[in-house]
Amino acid sequence: MSLQKILVQIEPKPENLLRALKAAQKENKYIGEKECEKIADYFSLPLARIYSFASFFNEIRTKKETKKNIRICSGGPCLSKDSAKVARQIEMLLGLEAGNDAHPKYKLEYISCLGLCDRGPVVEVEGQIFERVKPEMVDDIIQSYL
Amino acid sequence: MQILTKNWNKIDPLRIDSYIKTGGYESLRKAIREMTPEKIIEEVKKSGLRGRGGAGFPTGDKWDLAAKTPAKEKYFICNLDESEPGVYKDRTIAEKNPHQIIEGLLIGATAIGAKKAFIYINGYYRKQNEILEIALEQARGKEFIGRSMLGSAIDIEVDIFQGAGAYICGEETALINSVEGNRGEPRLKPPYPPVAGLFGKPTIVNNAETLANVPFIIKRGAKTYSQIGVSGSPGTKLFVLEGAVKKQGIFEAPLGTTAQELIYNSLYGGGMASGKDFLFAQIGGASGRLVTAGKLDQPLAYGAGEYNLGCGSIFVADKSTDLKNLLFSWADFFHRESCGKCVPCREGTYRLWEIAKRIKKNEILKRDKENIEDILWTLSNTTFCPLGNFAAIAWSDAMKMFGKEIFG
Ligand SMILES: Cc1cc2nc3c(=O)[nH]c(=O)nc-3n(C[C@H](O)[C@H](O)[C@H](O)COP(=O)(O)O)c2cc1C
Ligand code: SF4
Ligand code: FES
Repeated sequence: MSLQKILVQIEPKPENLLRALKAAQKENKYIGEKECEKIADYFSLPLARIYSFASFFNEIRTKKETKKNIRICSGGPCLSKDSAKVARQIEMLLGLEAGNDAHPKYKLEYISCLGLCDRGPVVEVEGQIFERVKPEMVDDIIQSYL
Repeated sequence: MQILTKNWNKIDPLRIDSYIKTGGYESLRKAIREMTPEKIIEEVKKSGLRGRGGAGFPTGDKWDLAAKTPAKEKYFICNLDESEPGVYKDRTIAEKNPHQIIEGLLIGATAIGAKKAFIYINGYYRKQNEILEIALEQARGKEFIGRSMLGSAIDIEVDIFQGAGAYICGEETALINSVEGNRGEPRLKPPYPPVAGLFGKPTIVNNAETLANVPFIIKRGAKTYSQIGVSGSPGTKLFVLEGAVKKQGIFEAPLGTTAQELIYNSLYGGGMASGKDFLFAQIGGASGRLVTAGKLDQPLAYGAGEYNLGCGSIFVADKSTDLKNLLFSWADFFHRESCGKCVPCREGTYRLWEIAKRIKKNEILKRDKENIEDILWTLSNTTFCPLGNFAAIAWSDAMKMFGKEIFG
């Protein structure tokens, strides 16, 4: 669907701005300058305001993501359920270091608690959430996604 | 006494009729048909209900302020942003009994005269978002929401606002900014939201758990409610137990219950998990204090004791806990979630995070220990909003308790 088609379904009121960004991102994977311009026009707001708003949120991407993205919760409850071992397993499997962006194809990041602590450790691969992840599950999860 | 969890797993969250069968929406009916807005606020004031978002502000007083501030438009917002690590109580209410939150929200909006209400939900709570969408749709179908609610002249519309991953947006003024389409940075207070909030209009922001108490108060009366819990902190509270306890999860207990009871009583945590020795309990999420065994017996209530109950989570660390990982976990969280508006927090959380990475890798530098003290002092004393202070709480306690162990 074109961005224009997505936008016309949303009333151009400030309280709908985040909704519009999320809907646009669902379609386009990220909100670049071009998308920001269109959204700015549609909401009759300055471009700088749209960009500054979009770049504020962890879950809105303003740049194209070329790498496969894996994220692991760094929260205490997940830690107590052995998330560190899971992180190490992913690091070993992909040959990278969490938080270090040097690998050409993959990126492993820490993420704040998702409120799924009772179902931890929580790992997110390309937007898909996996719960109760054990080190021995890492192989399968990564392989099926990447 | 169960107020919040009473009907969990008994009712079907996707069917409004199953909530109505348990007496649901009777309180809204009573509030609209038998009570004036002043009377509703009076009742909530008398109940002594205090906000469950962490600060424990008296709910009735807040509503009163918004009700008495003259304005054409007013707003009511349910705060379901919940992004404190280790806390998932609001998520669970939304999952198990969404209408209890919605009913409380509608009673609140009626009391202050708001025509527009929002539920601001954590962007990761996708399933709960769907549940709430369905619940709102069904409530509209029953005329609990919308024009001429229950045949009265009251007209309230409720929308869901989904966040996008920003802990600071749980802070009420940052939340309001983000609804207005601005960066979620906190505002200077005063003015407080009940006077000038969303779009400059009187606005109430209440935690989801706070609102879930309201139907009970209206139905059973302030007096009954105020007799539960302890004086100054009436009612029950949802406590989240995580870490090295036998039974993890959510437990409802009267305010004033001690962490000792919550951890060891078989009604709740049931004691330490087998083979685990107690080290400390962190009370109130990643921003909570670290409490040693000798101090677990203080009642968890608002404004009482040495430590706050915050949002009511208890994370139990045992002697096998990797403290270095835990220090990193706290620093990683606050560095990512600092909104960047003020320098001491933006830079302080960043430097602390860098040090935490070195601690984790056993690459501590000589100057790190001194720097930690400076950074923690700065965070505790100079930041614009409480997030900066939060970032220093657990670290400060950990340095006192385990500084020697960590730095040798
Ligand atoms: C950094 C920070 C994060 C907060 N996060 C939340 C949150 O996720 N949920 C919440 O209800 N209150 C949160 N609060 C408290 C809110 O600012 C506000 O006090 C609360 O929503 C008021 O509701 P209550 O009176 O019902 O507790 C946070 C406060 C701060 C300083
Ligand atoms: S203390 Fe942190 S979160 Fe609060 S305003 Fe300053 S930078 Fe933002
Ligand atoms: S600590 Fe990992 S989901 Fe909460």
